[in-house]
Amino acid sequence: MHHASDPASDPAAGTSTGPDAMPGAITREQLEELLQGVADQDRQAFARLYEATAAKLYGAVLRILKHEQRTDDVVQEVYVTIWQKAEQFDALKASPITWMVTIARNRAIDELRRRPTARHEPADILDQTASDTPSARERLEGEEDAQRLYACLEELEGRRQDMVRLAYLEGWSRADLAEHFEQPVNTVKTWLHRALKQLKGCLAS
Amino acid sequence: MTDRDDLDMLAAEYVLGTLDAEERTRVAQRRQDDATLNDLIEAWEARLAPLGDEIQEVAPGPDLLQRIEARLDALEAERAAATRATDSDAPRDNVHQLQRRLRFWQWGTGLATAAALVLAVLLLAPFPPQETREPFVAVFQQNDQQPAFMVSVELPSRDLHVQAVAAEPLPDKSYQMWIKEDSLGPKPRSVGVLNDDLSLAANALSEYSPELLKRATFGISVEPPGGSPTGQPTGPAIHGYLYPATRNL
Repeated sequence: MHHASDPASDPAAGTSTGPDAMPGAITREQLEELLQGVADQDRQAFARLYEATAAKLYGAVLRILKHEQRTDDVVQEVYVTIWQKAEQFDALKASPITWMVTIARNRAIDELRRRPTARHEPADILDQTASDTPSARERLEGEEDAQRLYACLEELEGRRQDMVRLAYLEGWSRADLAEHFEQPVNTVKTWLHRALKQLKGCLAS
Repeated sequence: MTDRDDLDMLAAEYVLGTLDAEERTRVAQRRQDDATLNDLIEAWEARLAPLGDEIQEVAPGPDLLQRIEARLDALEAERAAATRATDSDAPRDNVHQLQRRLRFWQWGTGLATAAALVLAVLLLAPFPPQETREPFVAVFQQNDQQPAFMVSVELPSRDLHVQAVAAEPLPDKSYQMWIKEDSLGPKPRSVGVLNDDLSLAANALSEYSPELLKRATFGISVEPPGGSPTGQPTGPAIHGYLYPATRNL
């Protein structure tokens, strides 16, 4: 375990200074260590893990729900889940932040499907998520994996790229996509499947 | 298309998030027992994970961590209670009910009021259920160490007794107690504003039936002097923990 007295090894040291602290200030190894502490029911480790990751998870959920109160509630449940399931985290399968973002996205999308909010028009959304804005990318994943995924996304036909982003980041359902792209839901489903298979093939090559 | 392809696309769409509520629930349940599906889902999570890099950080409100920690405290108390209750099935059912009610309270207030997010939560826990003459006791916790209030209700007389433990009178503030139960509607109802000595009239719950009281959840919030101006909890609130009362407690 780390020693809180040594600032150089304190995972929260870089994130306790303000709201715009980035998870980039904390390494994957440090997050793994904190998750291990959480798995051992260490509440201090939990608080540090929260400080280091809450802005990312909150951002993920808020982007899907577009509603602060509901986001508060969902993020609360997400961290309770993290507390309860930390021992199931498998460092060989995912990075800590991916594991946590996955929990957050799943909860947020579940909540959105149960009680849909007004869908926001995507013009600005897509600008926001353009892959060529490196400032928006905080490299939670290995750079290599990210480059491969983005290279493969680039190969998709434009609308299908947008669909993947709108679904993953904004939580859009097939029906939302169908409405926006003015296509029958079944067509959207077909497009999605083609896009996903193409991505999979590209990533495997 | 093979079955395996279909399953892979189901996994992919689950991860992408495009399935509807019903499909998502089905997949989430099925992956528990279907290792193939679970592996496919994890593979898609790994493939698409870099998209998460695009998520921009948004700092949550300053009190969210405290809220989460209060929730963890409540869960730990529930678990401790469940452990104590393992010698009998009936109390365990009670704990499940209590957990449900605790969630109901939290989500319910989330819907009903924007401000008072974390109320002290008190559940009248009949433990063991057949011993109906025992007082039902709950503790309102202020922080990790100190109970703020203890509350007991005698059934069937419904005599209420509020005792301040660590809680102290606040200058220019009042404590107000709330009750919430399905049949009373979605919003908490005021039980009363605590007196200056932090007591409350013994008959404050007399209008509610013992059965309702057993099902109800309670909260204590900090309000302007004389009580909430809106008729709903406005907070800030004392964090509340669940202590199902047993004879041994």
